[in-house]
Amino acid sequence: MAFGFCNVLPFSSFLDENENGLRWSCMASHRLGETGLSDSGPSNPHVPYAVFHGSNVPTSFINQEGSAFDFGELEEAIVLQGVKIRNDEAKAPLFTGRPAATLEMFPSWPMRFQTTPRGSSKSGGESTDSGSAVNTFSSKAEVQMESESPISKNASSSDHQAFDHQKHLQLQQQQIQQEMANDRSRTGPSQNQSAVKAPQEKRKGGGSTSEKQLDAKTLRRLAQNREAARKSRLRKKAYVQQLESSRMKLTQIEQDLQRARAQGLFLGGCGGAGGNLSSGAAIFDMEYARWLEDDHRLMAELRTGLHAHLSDGDLRLIVEGYISHYDEIFRLKGVAAKSDVFHVITGLWLTPAERCFLWIGGFRPSDLIKMLIGQLDPLTEQQLVGIYRLQQSTQQAEEALSQGQEQLQQSLIETIAAAGPVIDGMQQMAIALAKLSNLESFVRQADNLRQQTLHQLCHVLTIRQAARCFLVIGEYYGRLRALSSLWASRPRESLMSEDHHNSCQPTATDHLQIVHQSTVHNHFSTF
Amino acid sequence: MNYQTESSWSSYNMPTRSNTASGGDPLQRIERLASENAVVIFSISTCCMCHAIKRLFCGMGVNPTVHELDQDPRTGKDMEAALTRLLGSSSAVPVVFIGGKLVGSMDRVMASHINGTLVPLLKEAGALWL
Repeated sequence: MAFGFCNVLPFSSFLDENENGLRWSCMASHRLGETGLSDSGPSNPHVPYAVFHGSNVPTSFINQEGSAFDFGELEEAIVLQGVKIRNDEAKAPLFTGRPAATLEMFPSWPMRFQTTPRGSSKSGGESTDSGSAVNTFSSKAEVQMESESPISKNASSSDHQAFDHQKHLQLQQQQIQQEMANDRSRTGPSQNQSAVKAPQEKRKGGGSTSEKQLDAKTLRRLAQNREAARKSRLRKKAYVQQLESSRMKLTQIEQDLQRARAQGLFLGGCGGAGGNLSSGAAIFDMEYARWLEDDHRLMAELRTGLHAHLSDGDLRLIVEGYISHYDEIFRLKGVAAKSDVFHVITGLWLTPAERCFLWIGGFRPSDLIKMLIGQLDPLTEQQLVGIYRLQQSTQQAEEALSQGQEQLQQSLIETIAAAGPVIDGMQQMAIALAKLSNLESFVRQADNLRQQTLHQLCHVLTIRQAARCFLVIGEYYGRLRALSSLWASRPRESLMSEDHHNSCQPTATDHLQIVHQSTVHNHFSTF
Repeated sequence: MNYQTESSWSSYNMPTRSNTASGGDPLQRIERLASENAVVIFSISTCCMCHAIKRLFCGMGVNPTVHELDQDPRTGKDMEAALTRLLGSSSAVPVVFIGGKLVGSMDRVMASHINGTLVPLLKEAGALWL
């Protein structure tokens, strides 16, 4: 038998909270009449009847409703399970008039209980058997009630009605348990008879005040259920929409990534290196491109900050942001050098003009100081001394690192040259590989030197001077990058390949725009 | 801006006492050696970064005392291991002591040179004049 579970998600969680602790999922996998209910055994002849009755209904029910949830089965199962449990525990379980009250809680359901056999109730008039008989009677009645009503209800097959049923079942269950517990102390056939009679009286009665009270409560509960169901549906819809939009975004991002990768590879080829980029290199190139975008944004912030004559405190925040922006690229370079040191040290991620001035995978700090000295006026005496000291120390450090790298190169040349015969050759190649790994430490030390230089600049200068200093640095490298693309697209482009021309063209216009923004555009008026 | 020429390369002191002294705790030995001179560098002769750091000090006009750990057959390996532990980094060398106090590896030395703290330290230890 198949339950239409999938489309009623909240339902199952609701069921799990059932006081009875019913494991609906395991019940669903079992046919009615198996483990849960067969334990009742021969001592309770009426239960199997109910079981059969119950198992008959669902099959017809399924045929009727197709994918709708089989509430009939559910209700029966719960009731029967509850009945079975109480049968196991109670010695002489009795009913008062409450079961009837339970039945009256479904005002819209046709009250067909008159047709239930009174004969069975009479037969259940004996002492010990009567208890169970009454149980089975009432359960049967309920089963019949419920088996009829779900059919009529579920003809419309709507979710909120399902919740109503659910709520009713729970209440039913609770009430049955209460009554079992309450009536355990009472014994005697008199109770049986009164229990038997009372439901009938109440059925005949119909319009009593208690019925009306229950109706109000019931109506409120029904309304609450409908609310909950509607909210559930809305939440589910929202979630599904969220998922859909995320999926679209994901495909977008994947496309962008592929495009960027392709561009990166292509530009790498343009740069003259050719060949494929390693994954570490490709990742770094993308991160560097993003860093450049951030750079433009931060420079704009610096510019507006300076022109707006912000307070020193506010300007300091912007300057510190710019310093951490540089710290970030050094960190990224460190990561990239670990995965692909050649990519970093040969500066493939830079434009050709920048690569011309490359020193161990980046700019030369002393060149930067030299460039800045003229641009940072006016400087105090102390500041001038500080700047010159900085220039001297960077030069000494650069010299030291350069000589260290030179020694590495010499050692490599010797090792590779000595790798003659095959056996020795492999050993020599291994030695050469070990020596090459030192390159990464040189790149790291060079970046460390660059980072220290920038930090020291901020210590020597005032905040306003530092802001101007970073602006000058940013604009300088912007112009250097512009120079690269202008050079690439200069009038002799007919000699270059079509591909090269097409790829460089957009960047040239971008850089031209940057150049126009700076104050030096008149230098390039000839182009 | 004047650079020191490479003639200072030949003025490395190879301490004569390192071979005669008994082993003992390598860290103690390191400390003892470090306190013997104003600027002490622990190095390995084939290491290029060690070469760079030696060039840095010579370029500043300092004559450092260099201990090549690979040329010390008895205690070199132990001292190398002890230095690795001391620094907490993957490579033991180069390591610089100034005035008997640990300064650190190449990145610490360069950072202190850039921010202007190295020269006063050297002057204090008597390794630099002027």
